Amino acid sequence: MGMETRSWWNRSRNQFILLGLAVLAATLVRQTQGAALYEMYYWLTRPFHLATAMVMEQEKLLRQVAPRINQLEAQIQELQNQNQKLQGLLNYVNSKKQEKGIIAPVIGRSADIWWKQIIIGRGSQQGIRNQDLVLAPGGLVGRVMSVTPNTSTVILLTDPMSRIGVTISRSRNMGFLKGDARDQGLMEFFESDPNVKVGDVVVTSAYSQIVPEGLPIGKVVSVDMNKAPAPEAIIEFFASISTLEWVIVYPNQKLDPESNQNSNDATKSQPN
Amino acid sequence: MLFKPHFVLNLAVTILTLMVCFWLSLLRIPGLELFGVTPNWVLIWLVTWSIRRTLLQAVIGGLTCGLILDGLTRTQPSHILPLIVVAVLTVIIYKRIIKKIQEDFISVALIVFGMAIIVEIIRSLQIQVFGYFNLEQLWLHQQQVGLSTAILSSLWAPVIYLPLSRWWALMEPSNQLKS
Repeated sequence: MGMETRSWWNRSRNQFILLGLAVLAATLVRQTQGAALYEMYYWLTRPFHLATAMVMEQEKLLRQVAPRINQLEAQIQELQNQNQKLQGLLNYVNSKKQEKGIIAPVIGRSADIWWKQIIIGRGSQQGIRNQDLVLAPGGLVGRVMSVTPNTSTVILLTDPMSRIGVTISRSRNMGFLKGDARDQGLMEFFESDPNVKVGDVVVTSAYSQIVPEGLPIGKVVSVDMNKAPAPEAIIEFFASISTLEWVIVYPNQKLDPESNQNSNDATKSQPN
Repeated sequence: MLFKPHFVLNLAVTILTLMVCFWLSLLRIPGLELFGVTPNWVLIWLVTWSIRRTLLQAVIGGLTCGLILDGLTRTQPSHILPLIVVAVLTVIIYKRIIKKIQEDFISVALIVFGMAIIVEIIRSLQIQVFGYFNLEQLWLHQQQVGLSTAILSSLWAPVIYLPLSRWWALMEPSNQLKS
């Protein structure tokens, strides 16, 4: 009996060692949130990434085709200046000025079809941090969830786990926006009788804990007032979230960078 | 025994193909996707792995794939359960049915089709328990998504299955000779 057990063990020892090692390695990948796999993916796909210069070129072309962008931007600049002066008169404490963003190519999407995430080709080496804001032409599209030296994972607004505070720009009625894994978002109101109609613009809310206020998101395409427990509206995003090719990442000033020590400490602490 | 060249080579190929499957699942290439859905590459690899292996090896394969997939996406709800179910079912189906008929890429494609549907059903139940979606939206979405991945996965299954099963078959006799 003892001999049998021993010879059985001798025969299958290597197999057990290997299977144990496989589980160990996989656990390591899980604990580091796949940082090594993402880094290797970055280097492998690097020749195919969209170059920043090309994005700039596209932007320039767009401005030639639609000169109205320049006109609107000039108007916004003027309004912002006026607004700042008025705020100065009122001694209103203004938040810091928005810093310059980092242009990042979208190099992949979620490995799971239920989650709506993108992988971008910029990481902690380029100054991206956890919870940074991700914008695309049109408005906010998501925020950074985890960072490796050269890549970041972004949770999109369409992800079923995404929840952010939003406001109807016209009536200031508030609610929160949740993704439902498709191309549209679902806004749940806090009030039972909100003033909202189709076509209203939705922006991020001042009461949001995670995003600064006033970032454009989308517009209302339908309203369901009879929904329990609170009325709901379906939001169409300004940015074409399902076909993003590049995004701009801005530092999130709403969060103190020191305080968001999340689970991925190991992967995001290399400044250089 | 652990460091014989053919053994190391086999190990390297096995790990590399699994990694390639993970990388492929991050890519969205036109022609490879349907409604933004891609083939479930990891599932194809796991089915190929589990065929002609012991239950323990299959379960460990499922556990490994599940752990890595959790790391790449989100840990809750975990991918471990559906993938272990797939591994166990593949072993049973192979031993009970395929072995008696004939193992070819069509039968494997059929297994992959069925397994993809099972994975999506387990996933949607898991997500429903966590309460991210409301029910009607969930089922509408689930039907579309589940069917697209299943069709795509079974169509692409031979691309992973044929070379990989050939390779493992090639490695087998030399293993037996030397031990």
